[in-house]
Amino acid sequence: MPERNHPFLNRRAFLSHSATALSGMALTHLLARDRVLASGERLPIRPQIDPANPNALRAPHFKPRAKQVLMIFSAGGCSHLDTFDYKPELIKRHGQPMPGGDKLVTFQGAQGSLTQSPWTFRPRGKCGKMVSDLVPRLGDLADQMCFIHSLTGKTNTHGPGENFMNTGFTLDGFPSIGAWTTFALGSVNENLPAYVAIPDPRGVPQSAGNCWNPGFLPAAFQGTDFNAIKPLRNLARPANISAGKDRSTREFISRLNRHHLANYPGDTELAARISSYELAAHMQLSVPEVSDISTEPAHVLKMYGADSAGDKTQEIKAGYAKNCILARRLIEKGVRFVQLFNGAYQVGGEGTSNWDGHKVLKDQYTVHGEVLDQPTAALISDLNQRGLLKDTLVVWCTEFGRMPTFQAGASGRDHNPSGFTAWLAGAGVKAPFSYGATDEFGYKSVENIATVYDFHATILQILGLDHERLSFYHNGIERRLTDVHGEVIKDILSST
Amino acid sequence: MKRLASIPWLSARVAGRYWHSRNALCHWIVLGVLAFFSTVQSQGDLPAVANRPVDFKKDIEPIFSTHCVRCHGPDKQSSGLRLDDRESALKGGENYVPAIRPKNSSESPLIRLVAGLVPEMKMPQKGEALTLEQIGLLRAWIDQGAQWPEEAKVAKALHWSLNPVVRPEVPRVANSHRKEVQPIDAFILAQLQKKRLNLGTPASRGAFVRRIYLVMHGLPPTPEQVRLFVTDKSSDAVAKLVDRVLDSPRYGERWARHWLDVVRFAESNGFETNHERSNAYHYRDYVIQSLNEDKPYNKFVQEQIAGDYWGVDSGTGFLVAGAVDIVKSPDINLTLMQRQDELADIVNTTGTAFLGLTLGCARCHDHKFDPISQKDFFGIQAVFAGVNFSDRPLRRQLSVTEQEERTILGKTRDDQKASLAALKQQGLAAQLSSLSRKSFRPPVNAQSNEEVFSSIEAKAVRFTILATTGAEPCIDELEIYDSKGTNVALAKDGTTSSASGTLAGYAIHQLKHINDGLTGNSQSWISSTSGNGWVQLDFLTPRPIQKIVWSRDRSNQFKDRVATDYRITAQLTSGEWKEIVTSQDREPFGKEDPNGFLSHLPEQEAKLARELQSQLKKSEERFSELSKGTPAWLGSFSQPKPTHRLYRGDPMQEREVVAPDAVAVLGTLGLAVDEPEQQRRIKLAEWIVNPRHPLTARVMVNRIWHYIFGTGIVDTPSDFGANGGVPTNTALLDWLADEFVRSGWSIKHIQKLILSSETFGQSSSPRKEGLANDAEARLLWRFPPRRLEAEAIRDCILATSGALDFRMGGPGFSLQIKENDNVDRYFPKEHFTTNEFRRMIYLTRIRQQQDSVFGAFDCPSGNQVIPKRTRSNTPLQALNLLNSNFVLEQSAVLSARLLQTAGSQPKSQVSEAFKLVYGREPDGFESSNSIAMIRDHGLDAFCRALFNTSEFLFVF
Repeated sequence: MPERNHPFLNRRAFLSHSATALSGMALTHLLARDRVLASGERLPIRPQIDPANPNALRAPHFKPRAKQVLMIFSAGGCSHLDTFDYKPELIKRHGQPMPGGDKLVTFQGAQGSLTQSPWTFRPRGKCGKMVSDLVPRLGDLADQMCFIHSLTGKTNTHGPGENFMNTGFTLDGFPSIGAWTTFALGSVNENLPAYVAIPDPRGVPQSAGNCWNPGFLPAAFQGTDFNAIKPLRNLARPANISAGKDRSTREFISRLNRHHLANYPGDTELAARISSYELAAHMQLSVPEVSDISTEPAHVLKMYGADSAGDKTQEIKAGYAKNCILARRLIEKGVRFVQLFNGAYQVGGEGTSNWDGHKVLKDQYTVHGEVLDQPTAALISDLNQRGLLKDTLVVWCTEFGRMPTFQAGASGRDHNPSGFTAWLAGAGVKAPFSYGATDEFGYKSVENIATVYDFHATILQILGLDHERLSFYHNGIERRLTDVHGEVIKDILSST
Repeated sequence: MKRLASIPWLSARVAGRYWHSRNALCHWIVLGVLAFFSTVQSQGDLPAVANRPVDFKKDIEPIFSTHCVRCHGPDKQSSGLRLDDRESALKGGENYVPAIRPKNSSESPLIRLVAGLVPEMKMPQKGEALTLEQIGLLRAWIDQGAQWPEEAKVAKALHWSLNPVVRPEVPRVANSHRKEVQPIDAFILAQLQKKRLNLGTPASRGAFVRRIYLVMHGLPPTPEQVRLFVTDKSSDAVAKLVDRVLDSPRYGERWARHWLDVVRFAESNGFETNHERSNAYHYRDYVIQSLNEDKPYNKFVQEQIAGDYWGVDSGTGFLVAGAVDIVKSPDINLTLMQRQDELADIVNTTGTAFLGLTLGCARCHDHKFDPISQKDFFGIQAVFAGVNFSDRPLRRQLSVTEQEERTILGKTRDDQKASLAALKQQGLAAQLSSLSRKSFRPPVNAQSNEEVFSSIEAKAVRFTILATTGAEPCIDELEIYDSKGTNVALAKDGTTSSASGTLAGYAIHQLKHINDGLTGNSQSWISSTSGNGWVQLDFLTPRPIQKIVWSRDRSNQFKDRVATDYRITAQLTSGEWKEIVTSQDREPFGKEDPNGFLSHLPEQEAKLARELQSQLKKSEERFSELSKGTPAWLGSFSQPKPTHRLYRGDPMQEREVVAPDAVAVLGTLGLAVDEPEQQRRIKLAEWIVNPRHPLTARVMVNRIWHYIFGTGIVDTPSDFGANGGVPTNTALLDWLADEFVRSGWSIKHIQKLILSSETFGQSSSPRKEGLANDAEARLLWRFPPRRLEAEAIRDCILATSGALDFRMGGPGFSLQIKENDNVDRYFPKEHFTTNEFRRMIYLTRIRQQQDSVFGAFDCPSGNQVIPKRTRSNTPLQALNLLNSNFVLEQSAVLSARLLQTAGSQPKSQVSEAFKLVYGREPDGFESSNSIAMIRDHGLDAFCRALFNTSEFLFVF
């Protein structure tokens, strides 16, 4: 019987099956493509995981459009109405009550009037996409972007919202999208973690480790979190131990382990333990190398804004820019899934450290736009000029959008999961392209309404994974990233 | 599970189970039909026809009932086929007409499908395949004319786990060398022999004693504990060892960790606020204590669901151990969904932990695999609908003397109060008569304040607040009465309101609430400025008024934001404003002198009063100590509103009312919709621990098996449903379950049986035939080695270095530094004090915050129930054990210990180290290599290495 809760095949079984597994997989794929297996009851496709190297490269379910993912997450609920969703009617009816808005109770309560964005929207790129002055450099890349303007969420509070966008569930404790991806696909670079989460210089996002946790998937698929400032914990050899002594110690460990293993021929887990020390040694070389952005030339640092200095905002921007450079270097080295965070948990009051602009949106977003715009735009351009967008899907998203009204008695917008924007770029998607729309004020999605499940299903599809067949048995259910929902948004996929 | 024996690569690769159905089966059908006709198989491929007359009732109905009717019966007719009554069965389904060809079994599609001759279509698709004997019987039945009594209807068989436990006979196993075979070993051997396997040779004494300590305590045996067993040559040496191990308090600490995984216990709220629950440890201590004292499991279950009834409040920590979103909003959608998530979490955990039933799957629709309806889900939710999440006082259990003391004390206290009250009265009377000054009105309060004045004709009234008890003032209602006693302030009568300003952003705190006739915090006005503000009511026409009543919160829940200094003015018909009332003549708020009366009493009485006061204080302190107890994060309860079934689980779509109840297929509680809250939980718990409940005992003995051998007899310990694992040894499971109940639900009794078995005592060495036939050792031809869990590794390091602090119970320790700014954030500690060297069970476990060293070892975050941990081996684990400060510090501590006990000679250091770390002496290879390591790189480096070896990190 194939194992459910012990996904690591016995290594013996793994090796003996790999020959037949390939042919088996080929036929399975053929059946899938012919939709023969697309009956009501679809078989999960279980990744065959080598316990000695759980993140070894694995084949997708079908031909992928992209091989790697860079997911940029703006924490706090970034307003679509002040960035990418242009609403002339909102400008026209600025100061008027929103029809039906007087009785509306959103997360913090009552609504004031419709309020236009403090930033002007202008046509950008050759395509003329309207993007606001808050993010002009990102706007300049509009020709490379595929916007989804009709996203809808399930919750209007941050923790569950961030969980939902990163794990597909509002509750804590479900595997993140990066964990699912590496569980399915492994990674081409065995010397680096397959999945890296890069927290904002100001701290972790509001759902903290939930955003990159493995949930009930094995720990091997957890996102490894470090950024340009905080190196990977316990990576470096302790300062008071010389390189020679360290090497001898490892050799001694290995000698004892192999001596002991002689009594347990064929034991998978013991062999895996020994391998993990070998992988660790590779990682000790590769991670510092990839994290060392001091080798980047000055013009690159400048392009990203990593040389920003002066006030607090510029310092944060420099920190985030360095993280962007780190993200590029990781993608360059073949890391399967890179999650880059823009914005941290709530500290110093609402909306100060993230996009949660309830009361003084203009002041706060001026800072957040400054931090996000140049470094992120530079990152995409840099990936592009290095040819990395050919295989990399870039995703920008947030937990929910914000209201077209200002809150009653305040100068900011409340949470709005009924309609918000995300964009994708790079491999796998049409660009320039805009999909779906919110209503005339930008309150609710009305055209081609998309759910977060659809969004996730589409990302997996681009990676060559069938979201309905990538599952893991937990607690009575074959759990999926997309629960029991999700339709691939075919309209936005590039032609293969 | 689908078996595709004829296509071996597919069964290995595609693995699995069927998925939530969504679409029609048409593609299957196309494939099936094509495949059926294109694969012409010879009759020789079919199992032989049974060579005897077949009786439908006896031989055939059980097969249909167990294997077919689930998908081809009254509930569901996959591909249009029904096998539950004669007419439909003989007619056939959509793609095979007929499916049964009487007198011609070899060409009956039914037979070809169950025999697996149609690729991709082997029936049954779920559950176990039919045996050759069963297929032979079906063939014989068809060949004999497919006789089916007209009236015979086939009902769907219950899933195995829902049938009552029947104690099976212990199998007789052929055995040459064993004098007496214990039942457990007999069951195991019977299964092994079917696969031509056998138990391994007994493990060495040294290996055995290390194994039993690691498994049962999560700690390595001390050299003394090893010696005690290894040198015990008596025939009952194992029995004595087992007793020693089970009697130790270390046992409860180890096994509590397992239970806490199963019930998703952690000590913070989760989600973005993630506040610590500093009082949640009472439940953890309750679990440890219950296990150590071998509390009967039925009682253990009852106390967790309704411990408040049995005076064991701490058990109810179970109910509220999960994550709770405390971010509150005026948005009703959000509020209802948060509550629904809380309750669903309790239902799901109750189902999985005690019953191995994934009740949570029936929240939005009937369970896809098990006979659990959505109504069942909400019936159980109704049982828990009165559970609230908060700290509550933890009552302790009183001894008989304490109970008596409390009774007497209660009476004494009341007498003292009465006497004192009389004296106070006397003093106050004297005070009043002695004073000519006007007496003060009582101070303001949050709930209701009356202002009475002589009648005046007013156009408007303004209430001006000059000071509050803190923050912006809040008034939930301002009532103004005319001479007839009618409230003339109400907006519905045309009175309009205005104010200095209103706090922004809250629907519940609007100006309109000041005179809407509704009271309570949710319909109140709050000023926009801190400490002051005014609110004014203008009448349609001038009114004669003579009384004003106002309050902060008439329901008396909120006591903040009370106006303490105020003046009320009225606008006369002339337009002029006149002050009518102020707070000046009230006693100052919170500044009443409780002892003022004393100075007005005669000396003798005053002395007596002082004496009484001090006695009363003592009585009250002692009384509350005996009554209240300390605040603790445990279940707190209130009578709930009726529970509704929710359409698609959506709290905004209430359907019919559902009474509190059990899972219908397994019985009913017979409770009313408005049953008292506690009664619901008492009854559910009784139902769960009914000795005849088919699941409760099975699930628990399987958990015990799982934690001892690494995998359960059922490999999905919290899912005994159709989607869960198939038992590797059903008879053994049932025997253990029955034995468990007979023993009075003694967990230790079952553990003792297992630990004393040959199965547990056998060697962990692999053998060729075992690896070839059963690589995972599910049938237990060897003791399967496994890596220790995160907590056990840390405990073992500390125990080995000698730094482990054995203090039990009470508030936990933390491995993180907490920062609080609206939400709580946690950062790993880099250096440790001895307070952090307690066992990991006492770590205050914060959701989402993994320990920086051991979190990487598949340590759960407490967000989901974890019936079974994943076990991976990753480079990050290796890095943490090699380079973390914790391991380096402990290497130094171990090194110092070795120096002290073994002196400076590397040879004796190595010998001592192996005894501490592995519980054995080194062999020649190990000894020479270790000595060289110490000579070249020092003792610290040697110790660091040992903590990283497989032998230290695994149970063998």
